[in-house]
Amino acid sequence: MNIDKYTDAIKNCRFCFMCRHLSGIGNVTFTEADTPRVRASMIYGVTMDPEKMADKDFIDTLYRSDLSRACCFHCVNHYDENSLNIAMRTDLVEKGLAPDYAKAIAENLKSSSNWEISGAAEVLYFTDRYTLQTGTVAPAFDAIMKKAGINYATVSGGCIGRALKVLGFAQDAKAAAEKFVSTVKAAGAKTLVVSNPAAYELLKNDCAEFGIEVPFAVMHTSEYILSLGLKAAKAAGDIYYLESDYLKNYNDNLPFPRQLLAAVNANIKPFGTNNEESYTCGEGAVLLPEIDETLVAKLAAYIADRADDPANDKIVVASPYTKIFLSKYTKLNVATLEEVVAEVL
Amino acid sequence: MLSSKDNYMYEMIRTELTDAVGEEFVGTGNADKFGHSVDYYWIPEMWHDRGMPTPKPDFVVHPGSAEEVSKVMKIANHYHIPVVPWGGGSGSQGGALPVYGGIILDMKRMNKFIGIDKESLTVTCQTGMIARHLEWRCNKEGFSTMHLPASIACATIGGFLAHRGTGVLSTKYGKIEDMVMSLEVVTPTGEIIRTLPVPRHASGPDLTMLFLGSEGTLGVITEVTLKVHPEPEAREFRAYIFKDFHTAMSAGAELMRSRLQPCAIRLYDEEETIHHVRRVFGMELDKGAYLVFGFDGPADIVECQMRRARAIMEEKYHGKDLGSKGGDLWWQNKYKFFYPPFMFHIPQAFGTLDTVATFANIENVYHAMKKVVNENFPQARFIGHFSHWYEWGCMLYARFIFEGENVPEDPAEAAALYNRVWDMAIRAAIANGGVINEHHGVGLKLGRLMKELYGPAMPVLEGIKKQLDPNNIMNPGKLGFKGI
Ligand SMILES: Cc1cc2nc3c(=O)[nH]c(=O)nc-3n(C[C@H](O)[C@H](O)[C@H](O)COP(=O)(O)OP(=O)(O)OC[C@H]3O[C@@H](n4cnc5c(N)ncnc54)[C@H](O)[C@@H]3O)c2cc1C
Ligand code: SF4
Repeated sequence: MNIDKYTDAIKNCRFCFMCRHLSGIGNVTFTEADTPRVRASMIYGVTMDPEKMADKDFIDTLYRSDLSRACCFHCVNHYDENSLNIAMRTDLVEKGLAPDYAKAIAENLKSSSNWEISGAAEVLYFTDRYTLQTGTVAPAFDAIMKKAGINYATVSGGCIGRALKVLGFAQDAKAAAEKFVSTVKAAGAKTLVVSNPAAYELLKNDCAEFGIEVPFAVMHTSEYILSLGLKAAKAAGDIYYLESDYLKNYNDNLPFPRQLLAAVNANIKPFGTNNEESYTCGEGAVLLPEIDETLVAKLAAYIADRADDPANDKIVVASPYTKIFLSKYTKLNVATLEEVVAEVL
Repeated sequence: MLSSKDNYMYEMIRTELTDAVGEEFVGTGNADKFGHSVDYYWIPEMWHDRGMPTPKPDFVVHPGSAEEVSKVMKIANHYHIPVVPWGGGSGSQGGALPVYGGIILDMKRMNKFIGIDKESLTVTCQTGMIARHLEWRCNKEGFSTMHLPASIACATIGGFLAHRGTGVLSTKYGKIEDMVMSLEVVTPTGEIIRTLPVPRHASGPDLTMLFLGSEGTLGVITEVTLKVHPEPEAREFRAYIFKDFHTAMSAGAELMRSRLQPCAIRLYDEEETIHHVRRVFGMELDKGAYLVFGFDGPADIVECQMRRARAIMEEKYHGKDLGSKGGDLWWQNKYKFFYPPFMFHIPQAFGTLDTVATFANIENVYHAMKKVVNENFPQARFIGHFSHWYEWGCMLYARFIFEGENVPEDPAEAAALYNRVWDMAIRAAIANGGVINEHHGVGLKLGRLMKELYGPAMPVLEGIKKQLDPNNIMNPGKLGFKGI
């Protein structure tokens, strides 16, 4: 089984309480089941009795995890309950036990993939569905590129694999990733820039796991824009930066978002009470809104509750996903990194 | 009792509960029930490890206010359904386990931070708040509860109140019972009461203290006002190695008798010293006892206290100074060893035999417990440290550990072995002036020893229980009170 790769997480998390305070979903549902301890413990139960896999409640509990990976980042020995959860989902899919909602989402992702490239350029910008949905992130990136005088093309048209992987459809995820990588390769791009941290994760880490070679540089917009060395015309001022799950917890605290904010003279104020909880509305799970949007609304409300001055604070996020759902469910004033930079150039 | 969903009574009661707290806050799913069937007590963990079913609740209810708790209690009383408060489930004594089924009252939805009174230096919150979240919230305003237990990330404030928990700075700031100003409690029959607003008075016996340590058997603690403290200007630690455990204990006791005010003292026995200095400092020792202490507060006062404490350690007891680094490393690592893989874990069998006694008795308690474990269970390891110090004595945090190969595979045999160690070790403690427990509580694990500890005073406790909980619905079978 796929979970066999994570026996260390099963063994160590199953009776461990030490990261429960960072359990994003647990903190809004208040249930014990929504903690790494209980999920790992139930998966341990499956190793003893595979029949337990078919329990609907067990399956739903796994699928409503926000997969923030805050627990793994916090953990002294970085046990990876997050990947264990995804491995268990993969086992469920392989055994034909995936819930109907996951199957329907996966079907939709697979059938709607149709890659389009806007032209030829060394730099390709990936506009995924969340980036496009904001309506503001791609234009902000475009403004920055114009200012820098760099020609670029865009690639868009579907799921590159992360969402499928997270849902447990590993084979489909690999196929989607392969298709995307070959599309970008065929376009002759040297650098692929992504705004969505989930795409960054797929290209940086999942592809390696799938054995897919990525023959071009992959950069998150924060890293790429920073590399342009643009000078801000005015200071970005006081902001609160909410970390991305993917850039922080999955990628060892990638420094570029904060460096970029510093480069545009932002004064980053500490948000809430700590920098450990995930304040992303479930970015790690990619498609949590399609599984249960009420949970996303609760995660958003949890974040808003922690703002110093919700009506006036300027919240900056790295993830278009977080911008969409924080804006949808709270009155917070949210901008992405691209938007902040475009505004001060 | 109601364990079958086919029984229509199940739905009747579920309907009433949803009316009290809302549909989404009454859990009946297998995952949630399972989650509340194993806490941090070794026996349910081992039971689950062996593939055995663990007792489950019938309903998991998440109340959002004292009023909702009250409604639930009234329903439970009407139908005589057991109610077990659950905070974070991090209790090591099985206190939160639903051993008779019924309702788990998971308190974590009651997580409101109510506010800090900056004039009186108090903070008020609901008790389902995770201690780490409360501490972070206080830190944001420049204060600290100074309640810093190793389970800060996973236990609720209510759980600590219910178990009389303690944190690493208890020597100066006290155990949780020393931090409490007042409580709001929902009684087993559903009345919402408040204890007096201040902890020092001459207005009758102290109701606050009655509920502290009651482990969910006398009521549900729903709100608390605790003291807070400004973050100290300075906090310094220093560590020493003494030639043996007795000398180190004498030095620690002398420090307390001097009436200096250390915020923490920790002394490791010789076995644990060897292990501890190796893993924290990379230092090899074959004998000696490690003692660390610290002071906090205004920098000049810390400096003065440290100077005088050093004189005690060095001039009177000839401790080998490991310097402030030796102390700082201990402070920095204070939580680390509670994380896997450092923490003991199944297949090992392990338990924390914490007790407390006066300075006159504490060494005898330690030696008696150690002797009884070593002689009767030669396959077990016994280690100990002394981590919470008072003007009159200190707490022994002893541990026994069986490696996996020495633990029977059969779950009943494993549990029987485990219980024998506890019975013998705790009886040895009591016989030498110790008590059942210092800060983890009694729960299911040690209830059977309560009559021995309290003797003729036990009926007083039982009378209080009966008066408050006439139908015996609140956490039955715990704290030595009768089951169903
Ligand atoms: C890794 C680790 C380290 C630990 N370190 C420490 C430590 O340093 N200091 C320490 O004191 N303890 C420590 N503990 C033990 C544990 O954290 C404490 O016993 C804590 O008080 C339990 O709180 P909880 O919220 O998890 O309570 P639970 O385990 O859920 O419940 C404990 C008891 O309290 C009752 N209860 C819970 N909430 C309420 C309420 N609101 N009203 C009435 N009754 C209630 C329950 O019914 C039960 O009897 C540690 C545990 C772990 C796992
Ligand atoms: S990730 Fe680490 S801290 Fe969290 S449950 Fe697992 S072992 Fe414990």
